Amino acid sequence: MSPRRALAALALAALAALPAAASAAPPTIEPGTLTVALNMPSDGFQVGAVRGREVVAARGYEIDLANAIATRLGVEAEFVHEPRFGSLLSAGAKPWDLALAQVSATDARRTAVDFSVPYLTADQGVLLSIATTARPTTIADLRGLRLCAQKGSTGADLIATTIAPTVPVLLPASTVVLTRGLASGRCEAVVFDAPGLTHLRSQVPTRYGPFAGVIRTGESYGAVFAKGNRLRGPVNRAIAALRKDGTLKALSARWLTSDLPRLPVLR
Amino acid sequence: MIARRLRAVIVCGALFALLASAVPATAAVQVFFPRGEQLVAVQRPGTTVEDALRALLRGPTAQERRAGFRTYIPRGTATRSVRISGSRVTVDFGPKIMQGLNAEGLNARLTQVVFTATGTGATSARVLINGGTVLGVFPGIDASVPLTRASLRTPKGPTPLPTAPGTGVPTAETTALQQRLADLGFLPADAVDGRPGPRTTTGVIAFQKWARLGRDGVAGPATQAALAAATRPAPVTAGGPGRRVELLLDRQVVLAIENNAVVRVIHASSGAAATPTPPGSYAVTRKEARSWSVPFQVWLPYAAYFVGGIAFHEYSDVPVSPASHGCVRQTSFDARWLFDFLSVGTPVRVVAAS
Repeated sequence: MSPRRALAALALAALAALPAAASAAPPTIEPGTLTVALNMPSDGFQVGAVRGREVVAARGYEIDLANAIATRLGVEAEFVHEPRFGSLLSAGAKPWDLALAQVSATDARRTAVDFSVPYLTADQGVLLSIATTARPTTIADLRGLRLCAQKGSTGADLIATTIAPTVPVLLPASTVVLTRGLASGRCEAVVFDAPGLTHLRSQVPTRYGPFAGVIRTGESYGAVFAKGNRLRGPVNRAIAALRKDGTLKALSARWLTSDLPRLPVLR
Repeated sequence: MIARRLRAVIVCGALFALLASAVPATAAVQVFFPRGEQLVAVQRPGTTVEDALRALLRGPTAQERRAGFRTYIPRGTATRSVRISGSRVTVDFGPKIMQGLNAEGLNARLTQVVFTATGTGATSARVLINGGTVLGVFPGIDASVPLTRASLRTPKGPTPLPTAPGTGVPTAETTALQQRLADLGFLPADAVDGRPGPRTTTGVIAFQKWARLGRDGVAGPATQAALAAATRPAPVTAGGPGRRVELLLDRQVVLAIENNAVVRVIHASSGAAATPTPPGSYAVTRKEARSWSVPFQVWLPYAAYFVGGIAFHEYSDVPVSPASHGCVRQTSFDARWLFDFLSVGTPVRVVAAS
């Protein structure tokens, strides 16, 4: 965060703190601080720099979202990096207040963690490698391709349950390895959250092949909490207020410029 | 007069760069700035990697800027520390290094840093921000690991596939349009196949640009009327016999000329306002059928360089107005043809107003 932005955030936080101070302080792990877990990098949503788990620089949709939520709660956001996506979703106590990592709220995941109300709805996208000659137009067309997805992600589930490919699937744990596989052609197609994929492609259009389309999953991204965390109520109210005052829409416009509505739908 | 002075500056710049790279002066370091689609080294006084990085952060001189050199490192970017360990240099930047959202600019910035930091003994450079490992930030380049010049020179992914010329059902109307465009030099003769599609559109745009009509690629009544009355374009500058090309910046077309007759008129997109293609007289310096842009990390198929990193090349996106980093983009329908037309030494005239 630039010093100027930090100042602006502080000023906003001070303003928002007035009504918040009247009610009880939000039940964060560390008083006055909202500790937010990330799973970097994700183009458009969260990129930056880390020293171990400490996040020393960050920017993107979810960084701005976390700061806006913290401001509403009258506290300051602090970020920690969780390199393994899967550990965001495991049961048990967490060393952070909430996680923002484009996590789709599903019933299966709700058995281990709690979710906030959605802040963004998204489908899964299928992006082809530049080396892929096939031009799939249906889900069945995808079966013969070497597909890749991030291990433990909605995309990986979708491949297993809906696409059922005939070729072994590659499931790297990190998105860095995933995009590298797509750029090199080792992955003929990647199944990943459509907003992130379209953003990636719009940034470096000549690096990747065409967008095959989206698979409608109607997922919603929610903040992740350890089961039973009492912070969920205040965060839900903050997200609802940010939706109402247009902040969420502005965040999408700033960070996720993409041609998402014009993409073909794979069935 | 201004044009002549500009040309003299450019020639001086080219000569200086040539001499400087040929004779490694004592107590000089190399600093890298993009010029067109490639990084080009300039010399600065100094001996250490710190000297080189300081000069990099200061940016090109006014004279270098006039000759098309530029930097993608934001003003005010500072290094927090520079450490050398064996053959690896670690450069720690403040957060300013991640400013901006343009992917090409971010990637170009990183390549400038890596090339400049690896000039004085080190072979790999690790970039940190606020002392931390970089995750994301530079779209398409994994900067969480040390980077080498070789890794950035290595193309990522196969070359893009050429655009399909047109797969529609042949029509007599399209054949007539294509024949007229081919007769005037706006389409190659072998493009007359009756099939409407992107190749025909490219020819129509080339004609609309030449005739100073609206550049929509649609052969409407105004375009058809102008086509009916048109004659084959003539060169706008005088030249000797043999092959030469003119790039007309105002019309955004390339004229391929042989013995003072225009052989082809090609739809092209030159440097955008911030990175203009400098007018002047040049000659093709090198041809690369498969060229890789180091700063922008993209393929430039059929590249014919004529000054610094500025080249004619193929690109998937050729807008009707100036849009490139100084180079001359063409569609896949024309780039191969022009590449074959050009030889090393073929004169290139960049004309501001035609």
